Amino acid sequence: MTDKRTILVVEDEIAISNFICRALTVNEYQPITASTAREAGVLFCSEHPDLILLDLGLPDRDGIDLLVELKDLSPNTPIIVVSARDQEGEKVRALDLGADDYITKPFGVSELLARIRATLRHTDRLLLAEDSAKDQYRVGDLLVDIRRHQVFIGDNEIHFTQNEFKIIELLCLHAGRVLTYDAIINHVWGPYGGSSNQILRVHMANIRRKLNENPSQPKYILTVLGIGYRMLEDN
Amino acid sequence: MREELRHFHSKLPSTLKNTIVTAFFLTSAYAVSSILLDHTGQENNSALVFTLAVACISLLSTGYVPGIIASVLSALAINIFFMYPFGRFNVTLTGYPVAFLSFLCIACIVSALTSRNKLQKTEAIHRELRTKALYEQNRKLTQEKNRIELEAAQEAIRTNILRSVSHDLRTPLTAISGAASVLMEDEAVQHAQNAYLIQDIKENADWLTAMVENLLSVTRIRQEDMRLHKVPEVLEEVAGDALMKTRKRFPNCSITLNLPEELIILPMEPILITQVIVNLLENAIRHSGDLEHIELSLYQEENHAVVTVSDRGRGIPPQTLEDINQGKELPLSGDSDASRGMGIGLSACRSIISAHSGSFSAENRPDGGALFRFELPMETEGSYHDG
Repeated sequence: MTDKRTILVVEDEIAISNFICRALTVNEYQPITASTAREAGVLFCSEHPDLILLDLGLPDRDGIDLLVELKDLSPNTPIIVVSARDQEGEKVRALDLGADDYITKPFGVSELLARIRATLRHTDRLLLAEDSAKDQYRVGDLLVDIRRHQVFIGDNEIHFTQNEFKIIELLCLHAGRVLTYDAIINHVWGPYGGSSNQILRVHMANIRRKLNENPSQPKYILTVLGIGYRMLEDN
Repeated sequence: MREELRHFHSKLPSTLKNTIVTAFFLTSAYAVSSILLDHTGQENNSALVFTLAVACISLLSTGYVPGIIASVLSALAINIFFMYPFGRFNVTLTGYPVAFLSFLCIACIVSALTSRNKLQKTEAIHRELRTKALYEQNRKLTQEKNRIELEAAQEAIRTNILRSVSHDLRTPLTAISGAASVLMEDEAVQHAQNAYLIQDIKENADWLTAMVENLLSVTRIRQEDMRLHKVPEVLEEVAGDALMKTRKRFPNCSITLNLPEELIILPMEPILITQVIVNLLENAIRHSGDLEHIELSLYQEENHAVVTVSDRGRGIPPQTLEDINQGKELPLSGDSDASRGMGIGLSACRSIISAHSGSFSAENRPDGGALFRFELPMETEGSYHDG
């Protein structure tokens, strides 16, 4: 291991930032804390953190505004948004405006660390080189061959329609990250495709039936209720 | 009160009454005039006496008819009985036709004026009674309205307080649960003797969090007058999510998920429906005493989606069962520690389902155990909101 990755924790509740920082320190990260948006801006410029954990409910400014500003300054720095359960709309907006992931209060430490690891890994992949965009993705016994448009579970090939494959491809490219319904619809049907949420749901349900997924124990694709879908990652 | 008046009037049939009144006064006038005639001879005042009688008749009878009849009869009576040549009708003498006609006119006018005056008086009384009744009704309505408004305002204040308290509890609970989970992963703590106490802290904080979320859902539904942000959702995804959440909190229980062949898509607010299913599963886990046979089933029945949660445990006490199915207030705190918070969870379920225009019920299965069931309409009035 080289030097520790720095994580900027933007959170106005001391008790919450305390336990997050403790968990981060224990897991070999270097946390720095900001309790206001202003402080966050200063620390962002001086410390160049590897990842930002941003609570949307800040005392001095709308968290979404800060998110947009930080993404403008440095699009490659991943941001994980922290929000309360009933702020579904906020989460979707944050994701569509460039947030890399989100986590809902109250969250467990293991969940938080898993998100941070997945997000950092994803950013690293993007930063390394373009050619690392793989031709093949593997999740458990699922194999997706992007170039040949083929999907296998074990040795059995499973056939998908063109749109179904497009959805799988997109989820694979962003494995580990949550993709909002709108992001998927835009990618598959285009921004003016006029396709609705409901059609996406039906496609998704078909994909899952073909993959033989159990909705209560998904092995490949996770539903993020009210927000979108997430392809699981091989660790 | 108008009824009363009408009733009074209709005690005697009005024609009979009018006839009696007319006959009485005309007879009296005849009698008085006869007496006067004996004393004064031809220069009698019979015309005035009969005019008085006509006025009295008009005053005491109903309508214009008795007065007019009385006027004609009076005119004839005066002419026949009280003017020369007595005992015979005669309009040939000088001045007689004029006297006859003018008496008739005067009598008719007096009768008409009296009747109209009387009619106006009756109407005025009616109007006043009506106005009084209206005023009284209005006063009562205003009082009722004020009372309802006051109650609504008090309810709104209570809901607001409950909501803001719940909201404020969230942050410290996140901190407590989060801190406990950091400690639990610390190896030094894991081997300490008191480690299980941290587990208790975490579990109780999570339980409180779930309760706070229920309170927030219920108060939100009350506050927003049941306006939900519904989107079409795949029911099995929602149920799957609820099951995953429940398994995460209660890793030791086994829950079976029964899915239908067909895809059920219906409009709902997914987070709230997840909460209902999580509450029902948690209720089964905590209260049935059976962790092995909990089943979550989804199916479609005509134009309803049905979700049931069943167990093979000890069943629901009859009183509680009745309260649930009759939509009564559920006790917010249980008698024993084991049943604490059951009321809030089930109340939340019921509020959420009724806000979705669905139905919520519970039963004891014939072969033992409890079954909770809710139905949601497949299509709601109005269009979907595509999120």
